[in-house]
Amino acid sequence: MTNATSTQALMRVSDLVKHYGEVHAVDGISFSIPRASVFTLLGPNGAGKTTTLEILEGIRDPDGGEIEVFGSRLRRVTRDVKERMGVLLQDANFEPYLRVREVVGLFCSFFRSHLSVDEILERVALKEKANAYMKTLSGGQQQRLAVGVALVNDPDLVFLDEPTTGLDPQARRNIWSIVTDLKVEGKTIILTTHYMEEAEALSDHVCIMDHGRIIAEGSPRELAARLGRETIIEFTAGDLDAAALQPIADHCKSVYQDGELITVETEDLVPTMEALLAWAKDRGTPLSNLIVRQPNLEDVFLSLTGRRLRE
Amino acid sequence: MKEILSIARAQILTSLRERVSLFWFLIFPVFLFIVLNLIFSNIGQEGQMHFSIALLNEDTPVAGAPADFSGIVAQAFEHAATKSPEGGQPLFDLTQPEAGEAAKAFVARERDAVRLGRLSALIVIPAGFNQSLLTRLATPGAPRAAITVYQNHGNTGSEMAAAIIGQMIAGIDREILTKAGKFTQDDAIPVVTSWAGGEQQEISYTDFLLPGIILMGFFVTGLFGVPGSILFARDQRILRGYWVTPLTVPRYLAGFTLGQLALCLLQFVVLLLLGRFAFGASVGFAQPLPAFYLLLSALTFLAFGFLIASVAKTADAGMALANVINIPMMFLGGLFFPTSGLPLALRVIVWINPITYLAEGLRSGVGVQTGTLPTPLTVAVPVAWIGACALVASRRLRWDVAR
Repeated sequence: MTNATSTQALMRVSDLVKHYGEVHAVDGISFSIPRASVFTLLGPNGAGKTTTLEILEGIRDPDGGEIEVFGSRLRRVTRDVKERMGVLLQDANFEPYLRVREVVGLFCSFFRSHLSVDEILERVALKEKANAYMKTLSGGQQQRLAVGVALVNDPDLVFLDEPTTGLDPQARRNIWSIVTDLKVEGKTIILTTHYMEEAEALSDHVCIMDHGRIIAEGSPRELAARLGRETIIEFTAGDLDAAALQPIADHCKSVYQDGELITVETEDLVPTMEALLAWAKDRGTPLSNLIVRQPNLEDVFLSLTGRRLRE
Repeated sequence: MKEILSIARAQILTSLRERVSLFWFLIFPVFLFIVLNLIFSNIGQEGQMHFSIALLNEDTPVAGAPADFSGIVAQAFEHAATKSPEGGQPLFDLTQPEAGEAAKAFVARERDAVRLGRLSALIVIPAGFNQSLLTRLATPGAPRAAITVYQNHGNTGSEMAAAIIGQMIAGIDREILTKAGKFTQDDAIPVVTSWAGGEQQEISYTDFLLPGIILMGFFVTGLFGVPGSILFARDQRILRGYWVTPLTVPRYLAGFTLGQLALCLLQFVVLLLLGRFAFGASVGFAQPLPAFYLLLSALTFLAFGFLIASVAKTADAGMALANVINIPMMFLGGLFFPTSGLPLALRVIVWINPITYLAEGLRSGVGVQTGTLPTPLTVAVPVAWIGACALVASRRLRWDVAR
């Protein structure tokens, strides 16, 4: 178990490179992950975050760069490193005709030291399903088991690759609760996610990736602060061309259109709102779903790339 | 070691619980064994009273002999093989040598047919039979030549046919002796019963079939089980979940192979018990040579499974490929029927088919077949296949989903 109070980096990655032909999936990224923290890789599909994770998990070999983990410099992840890490893969799957208890027992056998099957099932609240076949579990239960399997060796370093994708809100909250507990125990967690609220709720440190590169990093608060004192206004307004939005653009910092969704960034809310209401009244445009909020990580990505994360 | 045993256990449990794999690895071989036994062990059984028999008259009548008793006996069976005036089915379907066919080859072929249950009996009238009978009429107590009837002891139809043949010969004999006024029980024509299995062993069709069915079970388990399990686990990203742990591919492979061998052992035990207690099989496997061939067979078919897994892109493609290979290999390997007399193109498949060599090696090992191939060849060909399959699999088999 790691020392939760230590601030020393558990993992350092330097100039990591992975190419697939002409595609630079990971293009020379570097970062370090402090012990007992939740480190999140954030980015749209194809940003390179899963490839980065797969290299760190030992599934793929990098084309270049260096990894330092648990104090050892490596070109690739070794068996000894795997003994101390746990991995929840994206789309994790198990043999459908094995029972829950058997799956956990199988994974326990892969490690030199491990927790008991009952301890694991208790941790992910699946004790009552111990004898159920995998194929009978709900999506949320399967994902909880996948998290449990990632924890069989009581790892110091835990990889969670999009742990809540496709889950309902309750199941998502269950996974969040497990992650929060792990963090309290002093585990170091590397997380990837599509969900802004997830990254904001769980992360100590966020790396925003795009096209294989890191375009911004820091705590969620630090990243949002990059947008300064901006306020975000969002509404939907049917089909509009860019020229129609020009009167608003004259009274704000920037305007983004994503289909029917219009996002306005402003440093001076009152004049922008006055201009927006006048514009809507003149055109007879209803400002449906109007909200005014503080910037989040999605807005950071939008302001850095001009695109939304889920595009 | 514990991870190897755990993988093996998971492989066994999955195969036993999944209906499709359970069907192929256990239900199908058991079903086929029962069906083939019921069909081929009872040819010409009660109710039908129609027997396929073969007759060889090796005796040549001597010019000027007062009688041709060999011809009389042969004619009696030829008569029993002709349709009655009412059009009813004759008692016998009679096969005799073609013109110019060597007696030895005819006997060898038809004995084999008796052993395999395709023929109920083979009657051989020896050379000098007529003269022997004439001598006996003149000199009571003189040595007598015997008619040999080959039958399959474990086959009810064969035993019935042999009994009828014996009665017919006794009837002819009684008529001859009564007319000569010399009938005594001691002078009756002797009939010697000989087992078609050879070497004084009582070989039934079940005994012949059992090793073949066991090999078929191993074959199906390897051919369908390996690509089915591995490609499914790979495509469903189950294997990927293993590769992020300390488990290595060689250890996974060892566990998987151990699991498959355990499944083969289970198959073997089920089929052996079924053969022994339901069909009276007496063939024994508890000797080093049969045990060696059983292990070699299981490994050969596992290797074929890995070969398919390495060339098929998906589990479905693997199953389709296994189906394509399955039929020619299974039926052109001598598991159920002899492969002699096939066209050249099919014989080529027989020659390169490892099942041909494994089936012969195993059957020779358990004593239900006299080997026609050199023993080293029955080992070398399967070993060569294992090597070739392992080479291809080591280069081509992907253990993770393609990016």
